[in-house]
Amino acid sequence: MADTQVTKRDEQTPATRSEQAVDRTRDPETDATYVPDVDICEDSERVLLVADMPGVDQSSVDVTVENGVLTIEGRARVEGPQGYELVGQEYGVGKYRRDFTLSEAVSAEGIKAQMQKGVLEVTIPKREEVKTRKIKIET
Amino acid sequence: MFDLVTWPRNSWSLFDELESLQADMNRAFSDQGNDRPWRGGATYPLMNVWSSPDGLVVDAELPGVDPKDVDISVRGDELTLRGKVNARESRKGETYCRCERPTGEFVRTLRLPFRADANAVKANYKNGVLRLNVPRSEEDKPKRIAIEAA
Repeated sequence: MADTQVTKRDEQTPATRSEQAVDRTRDPETDATYVPDVDICEDSERVLLVADMPGVDQSSVDVTVENGVLTIEGRARVEGPQGYELVGQEYGVGKYRRDFTLSEAVSAEGIKAQMQKGVLEVTIPKREEVKTRKIKIET
Repeated sequence: MFDLVTWPRNSWSLFDELESLQADMNRAFSDQGNDRPWRGGATYPLMNVWSSPDGLVVDAELPGVDPKDVDISVRGDELTLRGKVNARESRKGETYCRCERPTGEFVRTLRLPFRADANAVKANYKNGVLRLNVPRSEEDKPKRIAIEAA
């Protein structure tokens, strides 16, 4: 997936996430959209995409493919404790979203996703015709 | 005659405390070269902190971290989180083309605005967020003194 283009449609990048102006309210929930940090790795069978989305549970994450673009989206929900006042905020609790342009080498069919401990893992299988085959050398 | 200090002194005193601690941490780490895995500084994990007269609630973002790999300790008025973010075990023949998620060991200490009751600290891990409930120790709480009638 070396030719994968990563589109950042959102203004905020992960690097600015902790530096953004602190909204000193009682609730860290925001309407902001964050770009999750991702790892992408591949082998001959599949491409694996791993995204950090803390605060998102399995039911509030969406993985969609449309016109060759894979989109991951999730909404973090963290309820503030009752009777307490927010006194320090380093991160906001909002939406995550990131788009990835899929290359011709992968198949949109058979994409699998799972969410665990705030980490989303998306497995994208490669097309049969691009899978590495070992060719036996005849003697 | 006496300096009366009310608690909290003001709502943001803890935040200022956090900021100065963070600046100290950044200084401490700045001369260790560029081999540290954290992008843009040493602040990990990111935290949100709530306060009430009974104590603090601290949320820390630790996605993908096994709660067993996090050590929480309280000494006097210092709360320390120490742990390890394990990298995925890579399969044979696997190559990475993007590597943004941090891995490695971390330590972060918060100075609390009170002495905490170490045995009463509760920790809960859900969807990659660790929530700590740090109650103020009973001895540290203000006591109401009844005025006797003359």
